[in-house]
Amino acid sequence: MHAIAARDEHAFAVLYDRYIDLVYSASFRVLADAGLAEDTSQDVFVRLWRRPETFIAERGRFLSWLMSVTRNRAVDELRARGRRRKREGGPLGEPDEAAEPLFSTDPIDPQGSAELHEDQLAVRNALSALPGEQRMALELAYFGGLTQQEIAARLHEPLGTVKTRIRLGMQKLRRSLDTRG
Amino acid sequence: MAGDHISQEQADEFAIGSLEPALERAVALHLADCSACRDIVRDSERLAATFALTSPHRKPPSQLKQRVFLATGIRRPSPLRRAFGYGKAVAGVAAVFVAVAAFTGMVWMRSEMTDLRNDDERLQRKIDEALSQEVEIAALTRKLEDQEKEAARLAEAATGDQGLIVALLSNETRIADVVPAEEDSSSIGRLIWDGEQKRVWFVASDLPQRPAGETYQIWVNSGGKYYSLGTFAADADGFARYQTVVPEGITTYDTAIVTIERVGGSPTREGPTVFLVYDLSRLTD
Repeated sequence: MHAIAARDEHAFAVLYDRYIDLVYSASFRVLADAGLAEDTSQDVFVRLWRRPETFIAERGRFLSWLMSVTRNRAVDELRARGRRRKREGGPLGEPDEAAEPLFSTDPIDPQGSAELHEDQLAVRNALSALPGEQRMALELAYFGGLTQQEIAARLHEPLGTVKTRIRLGMQKLRRSLDTRG
Repeated sequence: MAGDHISQEQADEFAIGSLEPALERAVALHLADCSACRDIVRDSERLAATFALTSPHRKPPSQLKQRVFLATGIRRPSPLRRAFGYGKAVAGVAAVFVAVAAFTGMVWMRSEMTDLRNDDERLQRKIDEALSQEVEIAALTRKLEDQEKEAARLAEAATGDQGLIVALLSNETRIADVVPAEEDSSSIGRLIWDGEQKRVWFVASDLPQRPAGETYQIWVNSGGKYYSLGTFAADADGFARYQTVVPEGITTYDTAIVTIERVGGSPTREGPTVFLVYDLSRLTD
């Protein structure tokens, strides 16, 4: 990132090649639309190039920051699309039916780094250890961009139940990944 | 929010985006002023961000990179891509150059081979000419050597003639008549002994040529002992001319004979005598 801040185009190209698949995959996971996923991915990397100072290394790993930025940008787009649908009389904030399951069983990107593979495997293992309803609640929140009330409405569950599932799921994940170090 | 700060549960909900919009804005406002709560939320965000890693792998379209780089203002995709692109361009141009060079090289090679063949033919002709000249030179050299030998022989003969003339004019010279041992022979000869020059000449005519393996050998007797003066042969005309030096140890001779000996001569007279010398001076006396 220091190199990108110094306007090192080569460093930017390396960063792009390393993370574009993750950014695009996460964007597509949220938006379930190739064109919107491309737009989102473009926005993420343009922001990375234009405002590299928004990443502060002391606050955490670059990968976590990049995924947060990607997810937030994708969810913003998803909510904007929901608002457009609402204005246009379409379904209200329903997650895309084509949305894929949270826990992918696809092979991990073979072009990724060894460290990335390790992270992906750890998260998958931790998520696979969660009860299905907790995974579902987390999925609808994180990838679906739904609020707790929207999730409760979607799952026909009380708001408190959804809040509990999210809280327990996050606690278990934290413990699983913390013990990993 | 619990009191003035954010709970872990709220931080998690904020991180995964499940808070209601009004509460989400309130948390965001608080985080702007509370570093402690920001640390909590960042921890939750890091945890939530790991969810993205589980997304099914999707390969973006290849043109996306071009779009991104154009949007960032980076005209060229990257030095690497540029290098790759240039590399491909250069490789293409190089391929054309290689092809042209190969074709040119083939034409050049063909031309060179033709030139080499022509050069080779020209060189071969020169070699043949040189060989012919060498043969001619060798023939001329041999001819020259023969002429030199003849010249040397003639010069020697002239010298001998000059010496013979001097000997004939000298009062110290003894001239002896050489007569055949057989009466029916028409051969005649002279033995000229020049004590002053210490040289001896033998001349004869009508001498029959000796068969192979035989030669004429001339001897002088001095003090009762025969000394060989050497061997000689007659030419096709029956003429013989022989010149030698007076043997060491004698100054004069009593008589002389010519015998027929084996080729190369004999150390002592063995063959038949065909000529004998009458000392003309003595006869005169």
